Amino acid sequence: MAGVAGGNDFQWCFSQVKGAIDEDVAEADIISTVEFNNSGEFLATGDKGGRVVIFQHEQECKNRPHLRGEYNVYSTFQSHEPEFDYLKSLEIEEKINKIRWLPQQNSAHFLLSTNDKTIKLWKISERDKRAEGYNLKDEDGRLRDPFRITSLRVPVLMPMDLMVEASPRRVFANAHTYHINSISVNSDHQTYLSADDLRINLWHLEITDRSFNIVDIKPANMEELTEVITAAECQPNQCNVFVYSSSKGTIRLCDMRAAALCDRHTKFFEEPEDPSSRSFFSEIISSISDVKFSHSGRYMMTRDYLSVKVWDLNMENRPVETYQVHEYLRSKLCSLYENDCIFDKFECCWNGSDSAIMTGSYNNFFRMFDRNTRKDITLEASRESSKPRGTLKPRKVSTGGKRKKDEISVDSLDFNKKILHTAWHPKENVIAVAATNNLYIFQDKIN
Amino acid sequence: MEYKVEAHRIMSISLGKIYNSRVQRGGIKLHKNLLVSLVLRSARQVYLRDYYGGICLSAQQAREWCEGEYMDSEQDKLVPGSKESMPESDGQSEVAVDKQEPSNVVESHAALDVESEASGEQDHAEDGVLDSGCSELKTPEENPEASPTFEVPNGVTTISSNCISGPPPSNPEQATETPNDCQTDGSESVEENSLERTVPQTCTNRKRSADDSELTDSLPKRTKVMSPPLISKNDEKRAETEEMDTSNVSSLITIFGSSFSGLLSSEDGAQPDSEADQDSDSGQICCDQMLKNLNPWSTAIVAF
Repeated sequence: MAGVAGGNDFQWCFSQVKGAIDEDVAEADIISTVEFNNSGEFLATGDKGGRVVIFQHEQECKNRPHLRGEYNVYSTFQSHEPEFDYLKSLEIEEKINKIRWLPQQNSAHFLLSTNDKTIKLWKISERDKRAEGYNLKDEDGRLRDPFRITSLRVPVLMPMDLMVEASPRRVFANAHTYHINSISVNSDHQTYLSADDLRINLWHLEITDRSFNIVDIKPANMEELTEVITAAECQPNQCNVFVYSSSKGTIRLCDMRAAALCDRHTKFFEEPEDPSSRSFFSEIISSISDVKFSHSGRYMMTRDYLSVKVWDLNMENRPVETYQVHEYLRSKLCSLYENDCIFDKFECCWNGSDSAIMTGSYNNFFRMFDRNTRKDITLEASRESSKPRGTLKPRKVSTGGKRKKDEISVDSLDFNKKILHTAWHPKENVIAVAATNNLYIFQDKIN
Repeated sequence: MEYKVEAHRIMSISLGKIYNSRVQRGGIKLHKNLLVSLVLRSARQVYLRDYYGGICLSAQQAREWCEGEYMDSEQDKLVPGSKESMPESDGQSEVAVDKQEPSNVVESHAALDVESEASGEQDHAEDGVLDSGCSELKTPEENPEASPTFEVPNGVTTISSNCISGPPPSNPEQATETPNDCQTDGSESVEENSLERTVPQTCTNRKRSADDSELTDSLPKRTKVMSPPLISKNDEKRAETEEMDTSNVSSLITIFGSSFSGLLSSEDGAQPDSEADQDSDSGQICCDQMLKNLNPWSTAIVAF
């Protein structure tokens, strides 16, 4: 596979793994989203317990230049708590569905995190100085008796241990009746969109009590519901363009200049269904679980249950590239339906140069596709196959017939070990792969 | 045969999922429930199609058996026909059968002809059907005749009436909408309210797939040599199980065919709570009924 630097094949090496080693995984620890910030210096993860953990890329060691710095915990905070909607008698899960970083504008970092109903803007800032010598209170914070104060002094800033604070700056609530599945920051750095099953809202980052509804596909009669919105994203270069995908396998591109309510799409992307592969589960596996624009903004990628498709925004009738992720599962759809795995929502991501794409699969496997050479590789994120700075060995699933040595048969795959969330550093060949409650970081070996 | 069991199994699994989704943490997930309801509908189409097709075939087979020497050549043709209509277990080609061009319309009318004759209508049925060009168009005419179908003694008529009338004739727009279904494939209908339309559609598709061209030729001969007592005895037994299933099916239709809102009653709060409760109860009842019906029903079919 061609590397970002050009010419060399990727050689992915294990770098780090974060998270407990226990076999017993607490549900709250399951990672539900992974996202690098725009520079790649920070890596944020959200989990089902509503917590956000941010890792920072340490500076590279000068005496070991071949080793890139590691990611260490920078900040941990509770972003969302479980809530109860008394009106509908519904519990609102605290699981973090998505995290999106804002572009950095000052020394603080901002990110948006969302659960099913509420989006929050968090400010993460460093504090390494502390004021000492207050007049009205003691060093331990207790108020001083005013009658005891005989002189006035100016507080002095003293250095202290670095403290990273996360504070919620905005709470965008009560705008979504259905479950929020996506948020996306606009390229104007002032607005962002949030999408639930039936509606998409446009927010201004400064205004929390109002949002514009820009897409509404709720039918007048809910009995006529045929499709829902599954993902939405803003185009990275044009602040008036966004796309949203549906459960029917279609993508609609909308231009906000055309109308205030973008129910009528500007472009409609759909690949005709192959009638020979029709089954009970055709609708489920065609449902798109993720849509991501390329960094260039010219292409977009969609993930459905069995494949990843790359679309050229200028061609609506079919994708330009289709990659099969785990076609061997097509004959197992019935059992995957029974154990609910067919509803798993896999994400996908681009590398910095848009030359490669990555997505997850089962058995802690994840797949990478090189768009130029058309080569693909399957790797595993597991402690057994992760030796410190050891190169990852390509894995292969045998699809029937004779199983070769080192291959794993389809029936031996562990469907509880699923990699739904992956992220690729925007500039370097560093990837973060979430395997249930563990976060694996792999780096490309620099020769 | 195993295909129908598979469809039945998928239906009960789907019902279970929908029922369980109500008690899941975080509320009802609209996307997942929508997908499950689509699977439920597809499975149901296959299930009903196989069932009614099985009845058609079995009725034909029963007639052929009592005709004696007529049958030796016919049965040889019939068996491959029945195999074609019971494709492989993984479901994909079975649904592909659905997508045949409506060029076999003549055969389907012939099959419909056979069923109608069992209830005593002879020549006019064929003309009526051919004139209409599509069996669904008989829906408005036959609905009043169908009546509560359980009361009709002849099981085949029960089935054919059910097949054609499908849901309770509550929707006056159905008569106008069904002609469109002639042109579309039943398995592609995704609209919630088209669940009702697809019942007649699946019946027609099933007949298309069940019949060979040879059967069309031999049917005029066969119809004259019916043996009513034998047929009614077989069909009565089927009618009993059919009654249980039809009530089940119609309640399924009521809940899932026409009402997605029941699932969402707690989502948008617009629907009254009683509907939600009723829905969950009937969801449970349907689940139980479906599961109970599996055994006596397949026994009855296997007997034929």
